[in-house]
Amino acid sequence: MKFSVKTSVKSAPRLGKLYCSNDSPSSFRFQTPMVLLYTRGGSLPHITHEVFKMISKNQEIIQIPLTSTYSFHQAMSQFEGNIASFVGMKDCLSYMTVQDPGELTQSGHHVKDNIPIWTRGGKVMINADKYMDLIENYKPDMYCMLTDSDTNVASLNKRIIKSVDNTIKFYNKCMERHTKSEILKDTFVIASVTGGYSIRERKRCLDAVTSNENVGGYVIDGLHNNGPEVEFIPFDEVKPVVKYVTENLPVDKVRIVQGCWNPLMVLHLVGCGIDIFDTSYCYIVTERSAALTFSLGTDDKLQKFEINLRESQYADDFKPILPNCTCLACTKHTRGYIHHLLAVQELLGPILLTIHNVHHYLRFFEKIRECIKENTLPEYQTKIAKEFREFEKKISSRTSSDTSVIAAES
Amino acid sequence: MTSPKNPLVFKIFTECRKTKARTSKIYLPHGEVDAPVFMPVGTQGTMKGLLNEQLYNLEIQIILANTYHLGLKPGREIIEKAGGLHRFMNWNRNLLTDSGGFQMVSLLKLAQITEEGVKFQSLNESKLEILLTPEHSIEIQNSIGADIIMQLDDVVKTTSTDVNRITEAVGRTSRWLDRCLMAHKKADSQSIFPIVQGGLSTELRTKSALEHCSKNVRGYAIGGLSGGESKDDFWKMVHLSTNILPKDKPRYVMGVGFAVDLVVCVALGADMFDCVFPTRTARFGCALIMTGQINLRQKKYQNDFSPIDKECRCSTCETYTRSYLHHIVTMHTVACHLVTVHNLAFQQRLMKTIRVNIKEGTFPDFVRKFMYDVYPDKKYPSWVADSMKAVNIDLIR
Repeated sequence: MKFSVKTSVKSAPRLGKLYCSNDSPSSFRFQTPMVLLYTRGGSLPHITHEVFKMISKNQEIIQIPLTSTYSFHQAMSQFEGNIASFVGMKDCLSYMTVQDPGELTQSGHHVKDNIPIWTRGGKVMINADKYMDLIENYKPDMYCMLTDSDTNVASLNKRIIKSVDNTIKFYNKCMERHTKSEILKDTFVIASVTGGYSIRERKRCLDAVTSNENVGGYVIDGLHNNGPEVEFIPFDEVKPVVKYVTENLPVDKVRIVQGCWNPLMVLHLVGCGIDIFDTSYCYIVTERSAALTFSLGTDDKLQKFEINLRESQYADDFKPILPNCTCLACTKHTRGYIHHLLAVQELLGPILLTIHNVHHYLRFFEKIRECIKENTLPEYQTKIAKEFREFEKKISSRTSSDTSVIAAES
Repeated sequence: MTSPKNPLVFKIFTECRKTKARTSKIYLPHGEVDAPVFMPVGTQGTMKGLLNEQLYNLEIQIILANTYHLGLKPGREIIEKAGGLHRFMNWNRNLLTDSGGFQMVSLLKLAQITEEGVKFQSLNESKLEILLTPEHSIEIQNSIGADIIMQLDDVVKTTSTDVNRITEAVGRTSRWLDRCLMAHKKADSQSIFPIVQGGLSTELRTKSALEHCSKNVRGYAIGGLSGGESKDDFWKMVHLSTNILPKDKPRYVMGVGFAVDLVVCVALGADMFDCVFPTRTARFGCALIMTGQINLRQKKYQNDFSPIDKECRCSTCETYTRSYLHHIVTMHTVACHLVTVHNLAFQQRLMKTIRVNIKEGTFPDFVRKFMYDVYPDKKYPSWVADSMKAVNIDLIR
């Protein structure tokens, strides 16, 4: 794969193109900023291939965390195809990551030269060689090198330094294996930049990983430990580090940030020059029975950011989740029906929510690209910020009233 | 084919010359149904994790919904407001609802049956005593609006030997049928099926079937079976009932879904079947194949890169291997959906094969071949051998 971007500004919204190796320059596959489809155990949560074809007619890139697919390794060593065809998604390209953005990664358990990953069968220690063996087995189109990303805003300096030490070590070993590998010669390799919230450590990591031309792009890691908590990380918290890193990354390489960031945060990160995100956010929204309804237009009309279809007000609401939405859930079903499915815990509930949420999120990225093209990103961001603030207010009033109830009871 | 006055037209196409099997079409308000048909169960207004589009792809023409569950949630009022269950779930093919009586007796230990109806304690917080009468059952079923609806019947455990109780149940089922027919408000769009009861007693079954025959109805169900009774008793009750029930109306044997049972019951002259088995077993990782079922959790499938069934054309078998399914089964909901699709495709394929063989006059040969594949040692269970002998197929030969 190849990436091309026409910009000289290092930390600003940018439009790029991702090609497959045999594509001609005019037939690029993907436009960035883009979103990878998050999978668990190789499948989009709740979505079979038959249903996936009803969601997207385009080719997509699926993001496959090793944590939820490690158990495949014995089968993969005998299977003739690559990981995408093993999981029944051979019409998609695949991107392998170490950790799962949709689930909190347990902190700690460090052992020299290894990374703990939490799989179906418990903790597994992975070193660089073992990791590269797995990658050669799984044969993804794109993968992130092994990395120690176990840092967050609260991490102590000692842990941050250790994470960078490890990441550099893994980088050197993985890059050595990658360069020599016949199997991976067409595979797009992504290096990880760690260093928590320390500019000094970020610099040390950047200095070590940004010199090799064979690296296809970079993932800014170590900002969080994945899972639903990422949703409410404020931009001000990550801004200095992300700005610093994007300003010091080679401008012509693709930049990835993984995790369940909320859409407002995505817009901020796009503003810093990030190119690729994932749909783990749709997963956590679906798991709380909610449907995304934030605006995809730039008019003045504000919409609700998301609606929770478990609420009883939707029981006899026979409108679609979002009027004018063209997804299968909105064209065929009503809020009332989905409310019923959620209330009786039927499997179709999360399926319809996922269909809508992923569809909405894909359209959100189309909107972002359109806004960059037309120079209207700031206006759109202002609007999303307003809708998001309203949503936050609702959430926090709910949580604070919950705590007051608990306080009153105790 | 259906006029506003006649929401069910039954047309027989081919009758097997040896057995009682027949192929037919049942013309209903939401399209035609090719019989013999297996009707999958979508209890709460949804088919266990499948989209309607997937059911259409599987060429499913009719599904079941449960009155008891829908009556609790979302409740009659919401379904009425939505304009009936077809509209609520946006399903444009046929629906059949049960009466709710069976669930009450099987789910609620405290249910009490009186002449008035079934009395039970509500499952929700209120703990109110609720009485489900024949009128009430039909009222809810009228709101749901299924194309075929069931009378409220008095179900006695099939393993019961209390003759007095079974006699009472037969009489009451007949009386409740009259009340259901009286209460029915949508006779021009919904057809009520009476349910033949009578436990495992030849005499009482005969009585029940004969009483139902005198009623002005468009089809019949054979109930109170598939509840743990011996198969040797089961087939005799079906055989006896189909001998009495009029030939020119569809016959529905409730609760039958295993492949062998379906083949036997078709040979005995039944047209319609339902069972939760194919969808339920899918959720435990069991996939159906012509000779039985495979449990995908078993370690032997870890490196098996073949589909569940090489002969199957379903979307699961076209895309996924046993190996992948083995790895995700019972871990991710996707695995349930994939096996459910396959199992429904299996039921559809089995019923289609049955229909084709009846049509082509090869049904007895098919039955012999089918049973031989399932029991390659030719050690046929007595009920299979006996029931087939009763319809002129000698398996042992």
